[in-house]
Amino acid sequence: MGNKLIDLQGISKSYGKHMVLDDLNLYIRENEFLTLLGPSGCGKTTTLRIIGGFESPDTGRVVFDGQDITNLPPNKRHLNTVFQKYALFTHMTIAENIAFGLKIKGKSKAYIDDKIKYALKLVNLDGFENRMADSLSGGQQQRIAIARAIVNEPKVLLLDEPLGALDLKLRQDMQYELIRLKNELGITFVFVTHDQEEALTMSDTIVVMNQGYIQQVGTPENIYNEPENAFVADFIGDSNIIPGTMIEDELVEFLGTKFKCVDKGFGNNKPVDVVIRPEDVELVTPDKGTIKGVVTHLIFKGVHYEMEVMANGYEWLVQSTKMSPVGTEVGIKVDPFNIQIMNKPESEDEEAVGVDE
Amino acid sequence: MKNISKKIYLALIILFLYLPIFVLIVASFNDSKILGNWDGFTLNWYRELFDNASIMNALKTTLILALLASIIATVLGTLACLTISKMKKSTRTIIMSITNIPMLNAEIVTALAFMLLFVGLGISLSFSTVLIAHVTFCIPYVVLNVMPKVSQMDNNMYEAALDLGATPFQAFYKVTIPEIMPGVLSGFLMSFTMSLDDFIITHFTRGSGIDTLSTKIYTSVRKGIQPEMYALSTILFVTVFVLLFLVNYGPSTKAKKSVTTFVFKSKMRVAMVTAVVLIFGVVGYFALKDDKNYIGDLYVYNWGEYIDPEVIELFEEETGYKVHYEEFETNEEMYAIIAKGARSYDVICPSDYMVEKMIQNELLAEIDYSNVPNLQYIGEQYMTSAEGFDPGNKYCVPYTWGTVGIMYNKTMVDDEVNSWSILFDEKYEGQILMQASVRDAYCVALSYLGYSINTLDEDELKEATDLLISQKPIVQAYVIDQVRDKMIKNAAALAVIYSGEAIYMQEENPNLEYVVPDEGSNVWIDGWVIPKDCQNKEAAEAWINFMCDPEIALMNFEYITYSTPNEASRELIEDEAIRNSQIAFPDDAVLSRCHVYNYLGKEGDELYDYYWTMVGGASSE
Ligand SMILES: Nc1ncnc2c1ncn2[C@@H]1O[C@H](COP(=O)(O)OP(=O)(O)O)[C@@H](O)[C@H]1O
Ligand SMILES: [Mg+2]
Repeated sequence: MGNKLIDLQGISKSYGKHMVLDDLNLYIRENEFLTLLGPSGCGKTTTLRIIGGFESPDTGRVVFDGQDITNLPPNKRHLNTVFQKYALFTHMTIAENIAFGLKIKGKSKAYIDDKIKYALKLVNLDGFENRMADSLSGGQQQRIAIARAIVNEPKVLLLDEPLGALDLKLRQDMQYELIRLKNELGITFVFVTHDQEEALTMSDTIVVMNQGYIQQVGTPENIYNEPENAFVADFIGDSNIIPGTMIEDELVEFLGTKFKCVDKGFGNNKPVDVVIRPEDVELVTPDKGTIKGVVTHLIFKGVHYEMEVMANGYEWLVQSTKMSPVGTEVGIKVDPFNIQIMNKPESEDEEAVGVDE
Repeated sequence: MKNISKKIYLALIILFLYLPIFVLIVASFNDSKILGNWDGFTLNWYRELFDNASIMNALKTTLILALLASIIATVLGTLACLTISKMKKSTRTIIMSITNIPMLNAEIVTALAFMLLFVGLGISLSFSTVLIAHVTFCIPYVVLNVMPKVSQMDNNMYEAALDLGATPFQAFYKVTIPEIMPGVLSGFLMSFTMSLDDFIITHFTRGSGIDTLSTKIYTSVRKGIQPEMYALSTILFVTVFVLLFLVNYGPSTKAKKSVTTFVFKSKMRVAMVTAVVLIFGVVGYFALKDDKNYIGDLYVYNWGEYIDPEVIELFEEETGYKVHYEEFETNEEMYAIIAKGARSYDVICPSDYMVEKMIQNELLAEIDYSNVPNLQYIGEQYMTSAEGFDPGNKYCVPYTWGTVGIMYNKTMVDDEVNSWSILFDEKYEGQILMQASVRDAYCVALSYLGYSINTLDEDELKEATDLLISQKPIVQAYVIDQVRDKMIKNAAALAVIYSGEAIYMQEENPNLEYVVPDEGSNVWIDGWVIPKDCQNKEAAEAWINFMCDPEIALMNFEYITYSTPNEASRELIEDEAIRNSQIAFPDDAVLSRCHVYNYLGKEGDELYDYYWTMVGGASSE
């Protein structure tokens, strides 16, 4: 991946009294598939709209390819957006939709026809030229919206929850299709979603956001395996997040029991959050476990079983290929390497504030 | 069983809704002038309709008005929708209710409000005032049609256009406008229909010379049966029907099948373009046709059916003035319009006492007789009579004259008719028609009682009033113009009538006879006057001069059959019976027992009105 293509510097944005983005800093590299991930209302769309030029930030700069484009109108920016609800022009045919940008730029008819053919082939919708937009299914409209954007050969494609309205099966197909497209076109994708699985599947880089602050930036593995705070941990997959105390380096106490871990440098007797992934919890016979518990729920999930185990007043989420029926007495064991220690925020507000600053 | 009763119910409703229209349409193809007599199929009324210059003129006005009003309203309404949609929801709801209220408001209230506003602001009523009013009442219909389209439109569509490189202007006209176009078109069509359709608001806000089809139909129908008006109404109905059909089934909003939608949409477009081209074609044709030797406009205000329409065309051809011709039904109606200054005319044809009233109220301009050389053809004795209300003959040139008398049907009345007393004879209960105008009604009663027809004596008036009230039970109706039809159709035996009508009626029904009673009666003169606020005095004088031309006066005499004061013209009458007719040109004995109405002054008028209200003549139709 190349150098910085888009650089957001100190971006803030408020609607009235409501602060949506507060001093946001983020760069996007050339040819990167970057995903903005976060719960609904955290400011993802706003960020994307600022990049697209549909909103102007209250403070900060948007730098594109080394140039300040903060005040450039959308029609002058070398990027295209795929909108959440597609925004296809319903009074035009599919071909006219796709040709729209090219006609504005005054391309020749032959060029435009070529491009339409090419784009429709790319999104697997050959022969749809003369259909009307509203006669297409959601997935098809989605792909037309993408085709309409990419014929303009943008350097960056902005996609706002493009798969949100599709059903599960279609969504998964489209995920692969988008990855394929990106690889074929070799352009930068900025993708917005609130679905962590989608983010993990598709991205080169994930930006986790909450309440207008960036929580963590990293590769999918990075984000999944080493969440930097409880919010990220909670948001990325289901985790056991248990309050505890760091007794000393490599020793943490929670649920009234001391556990060995590998983290250092938190100080002595400091309150922390302990994060343990459900697949990292080992169920053993009661005498072999660090603590004892009873299985209270059991669900079959295909590749694995998901169980809930009540132990020392905390309901543990456990994933395992081995089944333990409800009512079984079990012991719980965790490899020290799989115990993730995180600083405990002192207030709700602080929880949201960026950690990467 | 249930199904059958449902069907019957439905059939009844449809019958109820459409029967009147159906009757109208049938009547427009009926060869007989009389309703209810089917004399066979004819297209004559349609032919006459298209030959009638004043109707074609009204058609032109109607189309231009509807087109301008709907285009302006569509532009304003659409812009309003785009603005409203950007507002906060609460503000939007309020604004939407505000724009909807005028649609539900009683039309007459809107109409009066407009007239008050214009007159209050000192704007004289004209084409522009009608246009403004039409635009105003059309806008809510545009908003009603466009708003749903605007709210339906994906907010991001405009942004998507920008995103693809369009400038804000391009995005607006390439995306926003086409997206809401179906709504805009329905709004336009609905406005067009509403404007085409409107009568009340037009009637109250129109200026002199402005007649739309609906006001034309309205004024014409009151004058008696004119089948070409049925033809016109039929055409209007069909047009509105087609337009509404287009509005409701035209731009399909929810059509799913892409291909059919597309084809249908393009068909719509073709239909729209055709309609617009047609309209412009018709308008253009008339506009060009008129323009030949145009040198100015002339606004004429005359009684209904009081000129040979061909005379107007001849005048236009000869002089190059474009005549805007309008009609009134009573002197009082005309006076209200002129005195208020609501509309201005160049030349008017009031009756004697009204001329006197207008002179006294300084509403008239002196005529420059050097521009009216044809005055030489008017008989000396008529000018002398006219001095009774226009001393020095400064303001008025007599146009027609006549007497008031009794018309009776020989087959229905056995007694000799030579006295007003026969109108008070209970033998003829339900067979008597009286004139629904103050002075004519009192002329009958006062003459019968032996009093002056210009009396201001309250006792005499009271006596006359009591007489009229006691007579009412035996009167079939107080009427204005329907006298003719009723007498011709033998629907009444006796009627108070102007001598001019008598000749025409006798031709149609030879059993009718006209008499000026021995007690005496009224001799009246209608003449041309020029109001002070006239815009084109030269044209007005040219008109008056033209009316005094013997050939022209003859045409008018033959058309309206009221006696002409034009001596030279009388000589030209070929039919000796008419030239020497006692009805048209009675001898001096009859004339000597007749008197002109004098203007009674404001108080006198009020006095007569006061008693007249007690009689309730006008309301008994
Ligand atoms: N035009 C606007 N006016 C007022 N508030 C807005 C506007 N757009 C977004 N917001 C608010 O800003 C916050 C972030 O919105 P958004 O960026 O759309 O979140 P996301 O896309 O992450 O769900 C939300 O609380 C939303 O209500
Ligand atoms: Mg969003």
